[in-house]
Amino acid sequence: MQVTITVADRRITDVAVPQYPDGNGKDQQINASALPVLTKETISAQNADIDMVSGATVTSQGYLESLQSALDQAGLA
Amino acid sequence: MTAPVAPRPARYVEHVMGLPVSLALRGRHTTDAHARAAWAEAFAVLREADRVFSTFRADSVVSRLDRGELDESDCPPELHEVLAIGEAARRDSDGAFDVRRDGRLDPSGVVKGWAVERAAAPLRALPDTDFCLSAGGDLTCRTLHPDDAPWRIGVEDPRDARRLVAVVPVRTGAVATSGAAHRGAHVVDARTGLPPAGLGSVTVIAPSLTEADVDATAAYALGPDAARWLTARGRTGLVVGDDGVTTVVG
Repeated sequence: MQVTITVADRRITDVAVPQYPDGNGKDQQINASALPVLTKETISAQNADIDMVSGATVTSQGYLESLQSALDQAGLA
Repeated sequence: MTAPVAPRPARYVEHVMGLPVSLALRGRHTTDAHARAAWAEAFAVLREADRVFSTFRADSVVSRLDRGELDESDCPPELHEVLAIGEAARRDSDGAFDVRRDGRLDPSGVVKGWAVERAAAPLRALPDTDFCLSAGGDLTCRTLHPDDAPWRIGVEDPRDARRLVAVVPVRTGAVATSGAAHRGAHVVDARTGLPPAGLGSVTVIAPSLTEADVDATAAYALGPDAARWLTARGRTGLVVGDDGVTTVVG
């Protein structure tokens, strides 16, 4: 299954509708809902209802300004 | 009496290997002595991995092996395990991913995911407790009960880190993202030594972070072939072009 979303100026201009696999793929065993859900427009970090951030730029250097840092600060034990 | 479901997970943060390590816990053990001991143990695993594998430490096993002061046969079993994973990835990616380049050894592309997956073991031993453990944006999580909500993982927009391009709901599994910046170094196609063209980032979702991290880095190194390669491997993931075009693979 492959979905292609075309984005221009942060707005989706074209969406190829996904055909979901019928449930016997190996990723189904991990997690029935693990397919990425593309956001309609890229989400501003402040409004994101998420638990953790996956990204290539998450380093200690930029941590204090990062969304991950904001999430962590909100729940420090 | 069972504990009520916590509205927000408890969180812990420490830095190692130049990366923030963030832990979220929910369920029975979130802030008690068991939780704190498991977190300390998890972090100790990462610190030990840094001591053995860091290319930034002159006294690490990897640095000494690279300088020829150690023989591979003198190295701990963990090093052999990491090199074997690197070799499989090199083969599977037709050489785009390689822990050796220009005669130097740098297994960093394998170590992070592998080490975080090992560090999660003490967290897995916490009864009735869900966790999400992230090191520098690569993470592994667990959800024990099918009725509980999945962890919601935001995938950073490679062009603007204040924004997200997708949200991945993960119950139990791992998410890794590779892009141009990786611990301050640059991911390159090992065959050419050049950064791949046309890509912003590659995200892979897999059962373990060991596989997710290696596959995300290998796919990123493959450049324009990233989505095709992940599809052929039966992976689930997300490829973001440097033009913002986003392709879901799965």
